Amino acid sequence: MSLALPATRRGRGPAGAALAAALALSVAACSGGATASPVGNPIDPIPSASASAAPSGAGATGTITLYTSVTQNTVDAVVGGFKAAHPGTDVSVFRAPTAEVAARIATDLASGGLRADVFWLTDPLSIAGYADLKLLQAWTPPSAGAIAAAYKTDTSFGTRLLNMVLVKGASVTPGPADWKDLLSSDVKGAIGLPDPGFAGSAFAALGYFSQTDGYGTAFYRALKDNGATQVKAPDDVTTGVAEGRFKVGMTLDNSARTAIRKGSPIAMVWPTSGAIAIYSPIAAVAASGNLTTADAFVDYSLSLEGQGLIAGTGWQPVVGSGGPKADGSQVSPDWAAASGKQKDLLASYRAIFGG
Amino acid sequence: MTALDPAAGAMAAGALAVDARGVAVAYDRALVVDGLDLAVAPGEMVVLLGPSGSGKTTILAAIAGFVPIRAGAIRIGGQVVATAAHHEPPERRDVAVVFQGSALWPHLSALDTVAYPLRRRGVSTADARREARAILERFGIGAVADRRPAEMSGGEGQRVGLGRAVARGAALHLFDEPTAHLDGPLRDRLLAEIAASRQATGAAGIYATHDTAEALAIADRVALVRAGRIVQMGSPLEVYDAPVDAWAARLTGPASELEGDVVGAAGQLTEIDLGGVRVRAIIDGMAGPVGSAGPIAGPVRLLVRPDWANLGGPLPGRVMAVRFRGSHTDTDLATPAGELIIRRPGPPTVGVGAEPGWTLGRGRIL
Amino acid sequence: MLRTIAGTGDGRLRLLAAGLLVGLIGIPLARLVGVAVGGGVASVESTLTDPAIVGAIWNTAWTAAVVAVLAVAAGTAAAVATERAGLPARGWLRAGILLPLLCPPFVTAFGWTRAYGPRGLSDRLLGIEIPGLFGPGGIVLVLTASAVPLVWLIVGSALASRVEPDAERAARAAGAGPWTALRTVTLPLLRPAILSALVVSFVFAVNAFGVPAILGTPVGFATITTRLYQDLARSADPAAFAEAGVLAATLVVLAIAVIGPADAWLTGRPAARTGETAGAPRAFSADRPDAGGRRVVAMALGAVIALVTIIPLGAVVLTALTRAVGLAPVPANWTLANFGEAINDRFLDGLAHSVELAVAAATIVLILGATLAALGRNGRGGGAIRTAATLGFALPGSALAIAVLLAYGGFLRDTLAIILVAYVAKFWALGQRQVAGSLDRLPDDAVRAARASGAGPWTAIQTVVAPLLRPTLAAAWLVVFLFAFHELTMSSLLYGPGSRTLSVVVLNAQQLGDPTVSAALAVLLVGMIGAVAVPLALLGRRRT
Repeated sequence: MSLALPATRRGRGPAGAALAAALALSVAACSGGATASPVGNPIDPIPSASASAAPSGAGATGTITLYTSVTQNTVDAVVGGFKAAHPGTDVSVFRAPTAEVAARIATDLASGGLRADVFWLTDPLSIAGYADLKLLQAWTPPSAGAIAAAYKTDTSFGTRLLNMVLVKGASVTPGPADWKDLLSSDVKGAIGLPDPGFAGSAFAALGYFSQTDGYGTAFYRALKDNGATQVKAPDDVTTGVAEGRFKVGMTLDNSARTAIRKGSPIAMVWPTSGAIAIYSPIAAVAASGNLTTADAFVDYSLSLEGQGLIAGTGWQPVVGSGGPKADGSQVSPDWAAASGKQKDLLASYRAIFGG
Repeated sequence: MTALDPAAGAMAAGALAVDARGVAVAYDRALVVDGLDLAVAPGEMVVLLGPSGSGKTTILAAIAGFVPIRAGAIRIGGQVVATAAHHEPPERRDVAVVFQGSALWPHLSALDTVAYPLRRRGVSTADARREARAILERFGIGAVADRRPAEMSGGEGQRVGLGRAVARGAALHLFDEPTAHLDGPLRDRLLAEIAASRQATGAAGIYATHDTAEALAIADRVALVRAGRIVQMGSPLEVYDAPVDAWAARLTGPASELEGDVVGAAGQLTEIDLGGVRVRAIIDGMAGPVGSAGPIAGPVRLLVRPDWANLGGPLPGRVMAVRFRGSHTDTDLATPAGELIIRRPGPPTVGVGAEPGWTLGRGRIL
Repeated sequence: MLRTIAGTGDGRLRLLAAGLLVGLIGIPLARLVGVAVGGGVASVESTLTDPAIVGAIWNTAWTAAVVAVLAVAAGTAAAVATERAGLPARGWLRAGILLPLLCPPFVTAFGWTRAYGPRGLSDRLLGIEIPGLFGPGGIVLVLTASAVPLVWLIVGSALASRVEPDAERAARAAGAGPWTALRTVTLPLLRPAILSALVVSFVFAVNAFGVPAILGTPVGFATITTRLYQDLARSADPAAFAEAGVLAATLVVLAIAVIGPADAWLTGRPAARTGETAGAPRAFSADRPDAGGRRVVAMALGAVIALVTIIPLGAVVLTALTRAVGLAPVPANWTLANFGEAINDRFLDGLAHSVELAVAAATIVLILGATLAALGRNGRGGGAIRTAATLGFALPGSALAIAVLLAYGGFLRDTLAIILVAYVAKFWALGQRQVAGSLDRLPDDAVRAARASGAGPWTAIQTVVAPLLRPTLAAAWLVVFLFAFHELTMSSLLYGPGSRTLSVVVLNAQQLGDPTVSAALAVLLVGMIGAVAVPLALLGRRRT
């Protein structure tokens, strides 16, 4: 077994490093067992078809801080499970909307350094910038092997999937089957779209369409010409369709499912060309003062147990069979390409829809 | 000036400056004024004399139109301005008001303040200012024409307020304790200005005050106000000489009350026993109240004004205090019939502890 | 006046206030500007010449100007109506006018869309909706509705303290009709209060975020604050973070451009002070007591209150009660399940923190406000300090919170104290502008008399100053308390694991993504605010 020796890659003061090392040693001595994976000298875990059923992360102890924009109940479930699986650990959670988390990180960096050990954000674009700034630990969690390549990078790993889908009023027939049906004259003036400036998922869709042949930003121009209305978030689209303000719209499957479960008169339509799948990435902060525990938390969220808890709060997990199922194929934008062009994409979008 | 009895109806209602009958005013359901009857002849000055909280200000407010009335009717110059169902607003009543706190407008100069009512009558700005300046000059405050209230003295402020009322050109002026915040000389000055303005305008006035000397000096008639009612109305001499009760007596001037025993009559004089010594004096009010059985006999309470008794005489008394007041001297006597104040012209003639004796000139049965 | 109370010199007071301002607003602002220019002058220039940014700045400026004018007109009219016209049911009308203070602006905006938007209450029942609710018109309308109670409080307390009833009576007795008296006497005397109210409502509108985010986004109508928020969302990109800094600095400049001249003018005004008229009735009712006109005015005012506040709130309640969005809000579809989802174990924890913070912020702001107001009264330096205090209020919550984090995050992070610093910096101006008005009312001799009777400085404050000023102080305290209690933007950036506020709890639950649950949370939040505020207001009134 190998011990994580954080001082070598954190660049922290020697006292902190010594303390962390001592802590890691003492705990490791007591618990023994499974592997953690230091990045400085990576031991590639044996690739396996399925994620390890039992969460790894021995040696985890003490408190870590999690910055997240993931829904509160999901965070609560995973944090609860992690603490039960790793007695002696605690997780301080700062949960806020994406913009507040981003602002918090930016102010951390501008005032004495990052205070978080783990980032768990809603969509890949939100976290890409931090990878570019080399803030994230590059490693491979033991449980990450089961994750499809489209849903992970060398620093961040998908925990759940949000699917951008079509929604229509229950009485709208035949209704759209694919994205291009939003340009039909049947639905002219009754189309709801979420604002990419506010919702990361909407930006992901913008990224996907801009990169896909036959769509491009011209697709948004055509939507605007067909009388599409921009609202703030996917939930507002769902509400607008449920209330009959829109006939059709673009929303997240979770939002549509929740409304349908409670009895809203709407139907979810899985686009024939595939739903736009957006993964919620989790990553350990490279400068963490307790990387052992941070890594353990990341790995736990990717383990079958963690994935089951995420599924239990109503999201499609990245691994495993729990939770809502995809009703069709899933497509993804080229995240790396999209993240480099956030500003330009938003500018060209605003040129069409304003805001 | 003729004293008018409102109940007599000797003059047509249309000729009265103010004719209020059965007026009631309530704040928060409590009646502050109740059953008020008040008639003021054109050009007449009526003073409402009463202690603080007696309802004087409210009576003025009802006449000015600041508060609605619950019952009765108010006519000004013969025109009905208020009943329980009808209420003319102040600007449509022929009244001007001088306020206790002067109520000047912090944002207007003295000139603009006095010009204000003229402008409301449609006088052009230039003419209004010219006339306002003349009024200010008349009151001797032309120098403050361009000042705002914060830059004026209290006396100047009150004269500006008076000027504003004069500029209103109303046939009725209401004064709500205008001298309350002024000291002696300023007070006399303002009273003189008020008298002068009355002569100039010929307006009738109603003047509320709690100051007896001021009331007696300025009034044609004095109305004694208690708990929102007029308990006595008469010339200054009448209310001084013949107050209706002990309360009215104390309100209208220094008053001593003695215990006496009416023994009999001797022509114009009455024989009365005061603390065991019998004297003869002019005693008013012997007929008793209207409707009583006959002349009063037996124990009475006797009002004695300080100038109705004199030092030296058969009645016993011991000097308790002596107050020299310049033109006259007040001497407090302890007598078997009660405490007595005697006022005599000139400096003191006796000291504390002396027993000079005294005589009664006149008295009034309470 | 405070000099008499505290026995300290003006200089020390001024120094204290200036020092606090530097700490609360100066240092954080400097850090923020540091971020703004961190990208170099060229990037600042390119931000400020970007047509989209220029458009957002212009949108912000003109909507705020229109909101200020409309809110002051409506709020002043309401204040004159309730405080001077002798309307029936005055108590209810006053409560109705103040009701929007209980609602966080995002709840108000949400309520308006539920009441008057497409498929809203009026659309369902009558087939009518407010055209242009989504867009600048709706933003102006909802922000005006939210700003009116602030104007009403400022103008109303000035009516009580600056405009003696005798001043208006004198006008009427001088021949002026009610409208002429209003125009020539009442309004000129209210000029300082009206200017103050204009400043406060302009600044309130400039830094509003929730309302333009909900009503402006759908039509692509951007304001500085919505742009700023979107930049923050991308602040992993240092350029975007710098752009956010530039936008925040622009807001400050915009606010200074309005506040500075106004305060300079206000400081030059002599305070209007007149003696209390003994025995004179305070209520002024020179007009027909039974005129049907008054009932009509009262009913019209009541109708406006219902349309502006009660119906939108009712629409939120209906949404909260309805099982799912899209179902008709009829009893068959009603459920309390949404409230069950809304309440979780963090709710009480957050409630306790919010109450603590709001009480502390309101109390501190009141004390600081009195200090500043006293300085303003004594002349020199008061105007500048007052302007500086208002800057905190002018900054949008997100920018101020970032500034405070930059300045003090190093050692205060995750504590209630850092949230308190932000609250005090933000709401100082709100309390101070009201306190300033009430200090004018305190006769100089009142404190001297107390001191000459043997009272120490604090005893004099307790026994003379506080009772005399209680109505206005209570109102100022309550306003700051309410704003702090439902403050969302700053707390959501500043909170830590042990310092969650109620609105953070609400926000986190709201993001579960169900409008009916969000509505339930909004109802709970407003209900909680009301449960705390209404007894306080009643207590304040009973003691006066």
